[in-house]
Amino acid sequence: MAVTRLNYMSMYALDLAASEKHYTDVVGLRVTARRPGQVYLQAHEAQDHHCLILNAADRAGIEHTGFKVSERSDLAEAETAAKDWGLVTRRVASGEVLGQGDGLMITLPSGHVFNLFYHADKVGYSYGMQDPDIILDHVDGVSPVTHLDHALLAGNDCDKSVKFLMEALDFNLTETIVAPDGNPSAFFLTTSSTVHNLAFAPGPPNSVHHIAFYVNDRADVIRRVDMLKHKKVTTLDYGISRHGIGGVTTTYFFDPSGNRNEFQCGVYEAQTIRGSVPPIVWAGEHIPRGAFYYENAISANFFEVVT
Amino acid sequence: MALLHRGIHRLGYAWIAVKDSRLLKTREFYTHELGLLETGSEPNRVSFRCWHEPYKFSLVVEHRETPGLVEIGFHVRDDADLDAFQQKLILAGVTVEAAEANSVLQGLGKSIAFTVPAGPRVRLFSTMHLLGYVTGYEGPDWVAPKSLRNTAAPLNINHVAFTSPDPARASAFFSEVLGFVMSEKVVDDTGKTISSLLFRMAKNVGGQELAIYPGKDVKLHHVAFTKEDASDVMADGYYLRSDGVTMDLLGPLRQPYGNTFSLHFHDRTGIRLELCAGGRMIEVHPEVQPVVWSKANLREALSYYDDMLMPEEFFLPCV
Repeated sequence: MAVTRLNYMSMYALDLAASEKHYTDVVGLRVTARRPGQVYLQAHEAQDHHCLILNAADRAGIEHTGFKVSERSDLAEAETAAKDWGLVTRRVASGEVLGQGDGLMITLPSGHVFNLFYHADKVGYSYGMQDPDIILDHVDGVSPVTHLDHALLAGNDCDKSVKFLMEALDFNLTETIVAPDGNPSAFFLTTSSTVHNLAFAPGPPNSVHHIAFYVNDRADVIRRVDMLKHKKVTTLDYGISRHGIGGVTTTYFFDPSGNRNEFQCGVYEAQTIRGSVPPIVWAGEHIPRGAFYYENAISANFFEVVT
Repeated sequence: MALLHRGIHRLGYAWIAVKDSRLLKTREFYTHELGLLETGSEPNRVSFRCWHEPYKFSLVVEHRETPGLVEIGFHVRDDADLDAFQQKLILAGVTVEAAEANSVLQGLGKSIAFTVPAGPRVRLFSTMHLLGYVTGYEGPDWVAPKSLRNTAAPLNINHVAFTSPDPARASAFFSEVLGFVMSEKVVDDTGKTISSLLFRMAKNVGGQELAIYPGKDVKLHHVAFTKEDASDVMADGYYLRSDGVTMDLLGPLRQPYGNTFSLHFHDRTGIRLELCAGGRMIEVHPEVQPVVWSKANLREALSYYDDMLMPEEFFLPCV
């Protein structure tokens, strides 16, 4: 019937072992599978096989993005739609991505590759699916991230990618940043009731600004900033902040390859019927407050540094 | 061709009845204690919305001699969805009443209503009057309006819980006919569902728009509203208690069943309400697997903290 949500990000890693250590020890994901040159990881309260694939490479950045659809026949429909829009597609065999069924890769105008698929193997929540004790043994003042929340992709021709995602795949626009020339420059898109599964901002082709993991409590964001500082992980200049956009509590940091990560908390409920509620607009003097609410300024190189 | 999200998109409203002839206690409680915005009144009826909601209402409270749940409203994408559901419901042997816009509630578009087997009356609607965000559309401060601060001021309606003489039947109907996905369930020794949590929204503080509990009759158990996190829920408890609001159960609790951090309390007429945080963001997908609780572990499922909590008492409807 439709795209359900952002399921995983497939990312490049310069040093696979160092990246694995970062995503398990600092972010708090669990390793669910490995094969030569690849590690698959999942968050604590997600039941599918993975939300992150690390690929050994001589570069940082994004390999592809995985979205799930709610009916098998959606893949053929999406293939037709993509071809009508003149986009390159490729069928992905079951198992080509570990732990998931066949898929359809679409290369968007901004260069990003999306893999749409219907089936993922289940690993369950980390505490199990039967009479679970929901508090984990190893929680030591820092609750684990619950799930992969969203990604901010960067590229040129983002508006064309957004147009396709909205008109062909029914993504909904919740908030947008408008550039001085009056044209939208950043787009916050959702396929579910959260403020964004995916966002786009200007940048080099097929790049990524950050991937974001969710925590259930603002206090957990605070403890996680404490933990990042304690572990000497490079964080956002402002330490902890709030985005005016979406009103979420946030901090940023980097993985060993230089890919930006985010811890985020916020219960903004977005409207999901595309076009039913006008998008929120951030323009002119409001943009710095939209980016960083307390500071009312944009951290140096925040938008420029992407991988 | 294009892919479209069809069917139920969101929990629109809970419509409840209270015994409060001029609705004065109701107005006072829901605006000054719970912290909702009053958005309309009709004879014997008042409507409210939460401050983060763009639509006209998410709670309708009506004066009646017999209090309880009137109906639950769900927003579908469009009139084509209404037609499709109408056919599906008729095939399922359910009597459907169609209603024109503004004929049932002011601000509600075209709708169809029916009674779920062993469940409540449900209305599906295709549009609702859009008031717009109170914080505006241009660079909004996503912060509760000043008039609501030091009230609970929840962001959204979260779920409606009701009791059913046959939870398995009600649950199956919501899943099979209305497309709900099950996030959790409680089963007895024979594997039969005695309670379930169902959703159609992949939201934070998610996993339920409906909670079905065992009970003698179909009755309202509670209406729940979304809070940002557990510390907020604790602080809301101070304000409510200091104004003499009656707390339910054993104060704030971490509820493994639904994975929420919750506070239950009563309005001035006995309606049970909940403020909840936590939950789980789950996608609306046919392959989602529910968490399964055995009846023997019900006490542990309902509260992580309170050994004294009695499941039989917990499941009692409010009015």
